[in-house]
Amino acid sequence: MRTLAKFVIALAVVAALGTTAIGQPAERGVTPTEIVLATSMPMSGPAALWGTGVGGGIDAWLRHINDQGGIHGRKFRFLIRDDAYLPPRAVANVRELVERDGIFGLISSIGTANCFAIRDYMIETKTLWITPACGADIWAGMRERNKYLFVTYPGYVDEGIYLTKYGVESLKAKNIAVFYQNDLYGQQGLLGVKRGIAQTKGAKLVAQVSYEVTDAEVAAQALKLKESKADTLILYATPRHGALIVREIAKVGYQPTLMSTFTLLDPVMFALAGEAWNNVYLATYIPVPGMGDAKVDATLATLIRLNPALARNPFNASAGVSFVESFLEGIRRAGPSLTKDRVVAAMESIKNWDGEVIRGVTYTPESRQGINRLFMVKSERGQYTKLSDWYTYPRKF
Amino acid sequence: MTHLAQYLVGGLATGSLYALVALGVVLLYRSSRVLNFAHGDIATLGTFVAFTLIGRKLPFSLAVTGGLAAAALVGALFFFLVLRPAKEASLLGKIVLPLGLALVLSGIVQVVWGTDTLVFPFPLSDIRVYRFGQVVISETNLGTIIIGIVLMTLLYVLVQGTKVGLAMRAVAQSADAAQALGIPARRIYALTWGLAAALGGAAGVLLAPVVYLDPFMMLDPFLKGFAAAVMGGMDSLPGAVLGGFLLGIAESVFAGYVSFKFKTTMAFAVIILVLLVRPEGLLGRVYHRRV
Repeated sequence: MRTLAKFVIALAVVAALGTTAIGQPAERGVTPTEIVLATSMPMSGPAALWGTGVGGGIDAWLRHINDQGGIHGRKFRFLIRDDAYLPPRAVANVRELVERDGIFGLISSIGTANCFAIRDYMIETKTLWITPACGADIWAGMRERNKYLFVTYPGYVDEGIYLTKYGVESLKAKNIAVFYQNDLYGQQGLLGVKRGIAQTKGAKLVAQVSYEVTDAEVAAQALKLKESKADTLILYATPRHGALIVREIAKVGYQPTLMSTFTLLDPVMFALAGEAWNNVYLATYIPVPGMGDAKVDATLATLIRLNPALARNPFNASAGVSFVESFLEGIRRAGPSLTKDRVVAAMESIKNWDGEVIRGVTYTPESRQGINRLFMVKSERGQYTKLSDWYTYPRKF
Repeated sequence: MTHLAQYLVGGLATGSLYALVALGVVLLYRSSRVLNFAHGDIATLGTFVAFTLIGRKLPFSLAVTGGLAAAALVGALFFFLVLRPAKEASLLGKIVLPLGLALVLSGIVQVVWGTDTLVFPFPLSDIRVYRFGQVVISETNLGTIIIGIVLMTLLYVLVQGTKVGLAMRAVAQSADAAQALGIPARRIYALTWGLAAALGGAAGVLLAPVVYLDPFMMLDPFLKGFAAAVMGGMDSLPGAVLGGFLLGIAESVFAGYVSFKFKTTMAFAVIILVLLVRPEGLLGRVYHRRV
């Protein structure tokens, strides 16, 4: 009788444990009705224009997906943490999001230095990380450790090479100067320009002028650039410092051909820099809103309907969608039984896929670099016009 | 030589803003021995108020007056509502209170106006320039230098040549003795706080069209202005002006001829050197207590 009682109790314990196991969510950050995603971005500070636009764009797009019923019955909850563009705050935010909030994945994070600061933590915790908005070259050589990373963002080194080649071959640039942020972001852009010069003939780097992200003004830098007599100036800066430098060089009567990274593509630059943002050549990896791509324009209209403030940052808001939409496709393909590894397998099945904003995304088990194409646009009287076809660069990771 | 002149002009424009900030810091320190770490944030608030009033189609002069009045009001209220009741606070307390105000004001500005970078409408153009030989100066920079010098002169006249200024100096020396002579010390304190805050607001309004308006725009100028005040002498108004201009010019010339990366480092290295040689600052005075 006593043996029977022990057997019944043991059975009950096993049954209870089993029930508990079934009742637990199958994956961190996923319940039958919800998927928890998050980001850490500069919603304040010198790079706030990037954070509010991109973060707002991701948030609005996820709300749009929710309004349509979510994916496989699950709706998204999206948490945004402000890191003010400071790497230590990005680290603290991400630790909190992973360890306390138990997110399923981290969407983006802005700033090469910030991404670099959280990179090892993200790899160690095996957290899904979708499109860190930073120089993609920090992933080069880490292929075997990048299982949970997927990126649809160009590398600044590749972009710097492209800008330089375009400048030399199409705009007849001979003497090139670079105005760059003195951190990983600017340094990678500068490195790209140097490599671009090495790959072309007849051009040389005559000045590399830096600023600190805390600098309030850049008048001395403008004079230094003027002294260099460079015929072409390439910018790797925040929108604020980019606008400041083009205004300052106009003020001192220096008029080089202006080229810029795509991070300054948002039309807010026309408001900040005014006439000085005319005839600037920029690379881009997505079609710019208002340039005739119906899907991109419709997406932007949806974003603005859900968050009217995004009308001020149309490119950055659209970029936010481009960061997240291949991941949403991966979740769709993974099916109702959602786990991290199912998403990884589903993402690896994405081949030459076009989203509403992003184009030509391909992931493989060996490559997490979803895109490797850019094309050139030019600013003219408050608008951008397309100048070239796609330029393709080699995949690195 | 042309380049040097151009760097000097740029340094003068920046230095005039540092000097305005430094004057506000010194004015308060002289009277109440409080280091106002909220000076930059009060200035930012005043500038945002002016920005809003300009957006409501008020004439620029009225809008700016409104912004400066808002800054002055915050300064005076902080004195009456916080510092006055906490007059027995320790030295540490007197440092923490303005720091708390700075955080509160920064939060208010971010919540009310957001964190985006905004263009501050200004009657002078930052693109239109005047040429003096090879040296160019923008309308805004020229205006900044002139307005800065006018404001500094007015403050000097107020402090040195009026009865109110005399009362301010008397309260600064001994509030109890001044009160015994019939000077309304509390009102003078409040006036000093208001005046210092308005000066900061003026620096903000002059700075915003050049560096754009955002909740953190005064962070760097406040640090530099504060350093300029220390370099010039914390109890000397002319010292604050001298410190501001010297710091602006030193930064600009160093950045132009040596290194952009270390211009701030160099500025603070110069300050350390000055304080090693003259601990009381360039124009500060050493007080010897008689036994």
